[in-house]
Amino acid sequence: MTTVETTHPGSPSPLGRADRAQTPPGTLLTSVTTIAEFQIRRMLTRSRLAVAAIGILFPSAVIAAVGRTAGFPLDNDLAALLIYALVPEAVCVLALLVTMCPAVADELERGTWIHVAVRPGGRRAMILGTYAAAVIWTVAVGSLALIPAVIISGADQPIRIFLVMLGLAVLSAAGRGALFSLPAVILPKRAMVASVGLAIIVEYLAGTLPAVINQATVSLRLRSLLVEGMGWRRQLPAELQLLIDSQPAVVQVMAVALLVTILLTAAVVIVERRQFPPSEEI
Amino acid sequence: MISLQHVTKLYGQVIGVNDVTVNLAQGAHGLLGPNGAGKTTLLGLVTGQLRPTMGRVEVFGEKPFGNPSVLARIGYCPAGDIRERSVTPMQWVTYLVRLSGFSRHDAERRAGVALEEVRLSAAADRPIGTLSKGMRQRAKIAGALAHDPELLVLDEPFDGLDPVARHDLATLVREWAAHRSLLVASHLLHEIEPLGAGLVVILGSRVVASGSSSEIRSLIDATPAEVRVVCDAPRRLAEIVCRGDDARSLRFERDDTLVIGTRQAGLLAERITAAAVDEGIAVREVAPDDRSLEGVFGRLVSLHRGGA
Repeated sequence: MTTVETTHPGSPSPLGRADRAQTPPGTLLTSVTTIAEFQIRRMLTRSRLAVAAIGILFPSAVIAAVGRTAGFPLDNDLAALLIYALVPEAVCVLALLVTMCPAVADELERGTWIHVAVRPGGRRAMILGTYAAAVIWTVAVGSLALIPAVIISGADQPIRIFLVMLGLAVLSAAGRGALFSLPAVILPKRAMVASVGLAIIVEYLAGTLPAVINQATVSLRLRSLLVEGMGWRRQLPAELQLLIDSQPAVVQVMAVALLVTILLTAAVVIVERRQFPPSEEI
Repeated sequence: MISLQHVTKLYGQVIGVNDVTVNLAQGAHGLLGPNGAGKTTLLGLVTGQLRPTMGRVEVFGEKPFGNPSVLARIGYCPAGDIRERSVTPMQWVTYLVRLSGFSRHDAERRAGVALEEVRLSAAADRPIGTLSKGMRQRAKIAGALAHDPELLVLDEPFDGLDPVARHDLATLVREWAAHRSLLVASHLLHEIEPLGAGLVVILGSRVVASGSSSEIRSLIDATPAEVRVVCDAPRRLAEIVCRGDDARSLRFERDDTLVIGTRQAGLLAERITAAAVDEGIAVREVAPDDRSLEGVFGRLVSLHRGGA
């Protein structure tokens, strides 16, 4: 046992306490907003903007290629299906992979994690703020990708397609962002690989199984909302009815909100308890 | 203010700190120990980044891990560099202060004051990536003290600084510690000494000594040290040194080097100088042996374990 008693008194500063007492206590919302602003500023680099530009133009390029083969204007249903696959599914997931997955790993690598972790509520604010920034960034990229894609398709209901897809992009960003927050806090250094695995296994495999498990996926909700939003429910073949949920749209949105709440709560609980040895911060 | 009771921290099978019991009252304290001794782990426990595997850690009477009310009263400046290159010190410090619960306006004002305090106002709007190591270090310290903490914890704050920057920083920290509490970790005694702090010496994951800097200095001075003398006649010099009683051991290395173990390095230096003049010995170098610091810490461990 080592027992050392050291006393070296100085004069406590009453100024510090008085000054602090005048300061309103920080709310979680303030910290989350602060982190979100900081993360968005970080995202505004040339390389990130170049990647975003590719994400914005990629769906239009694919639709143009399809249009050259199938002929313009594209059929309304074909255009909606293509845009759904390209924007809420592909572009949004890719944007989240580069923004949400490195939430903790980036901070460790940049040597900034420790500065945030020692602030009151810093850890939870880091996850929630990064999540907010990732969702804002993903929705921005997704909606900018939608505009040229819808115009190029020449579909006869462009506004309807745009609004439905915008809603789906928002839900995709919110739901998948929360899903990717788990690998970000559990396996920070392998978050990207783990998130790709999670997307494939949970979203694209379990999500298409006609079983109870697909109720816990975002993809089931998005597909159901797509069918609902485009008015396809009645004309959908019986075998495809198994791949969607028959509940009304508001239930689908609430299910996504519930999933987001559960996943983010789990991520916050985990990150609050995580300890990174000093060597991991280098 | 800080109380660690039988605290052990394990990283898997690696020991961070081992059964440490320390009580630190308000005031300035230095944590002294070589690299890998467990200083950063101990600071991690105090600043609520790490949870003890065994034992109890209390800061301001409460557990710091995951405790916002304790964390709000601590300012921590870690050892690692900030690799956030594109933001400016002003943006960085404002960001950290806002995370401590201040409004944007308040945070900007406090960041400005803190950057002025660390004499970084002129570079406040330059990207951190363009700043020198000393400037980045000062930006980190501004981030740690801008929210006006009651306890400032600095991990190797002088690392990589040039002598002028060290002096400036020591002055700043000493001024700050005059009316608030401070815990500074360093592997060099002379970095902590000017702060007038009480010292805790940590080695091999254990606290091995404590006291005022003069007490620790006396302990170190009384510890056998080795002096390496490079000259043209080491055997003649050894004969001269043996006539006195200030040498405890002698060892020859190569043909021109004599290593002398002593408790009285000052006296020995005088005798070497006199011998060089009287006997015409050409002394090319007199320097403490590189292993002396390890020797000092080794001696402290031995004393800690009840050795003579």
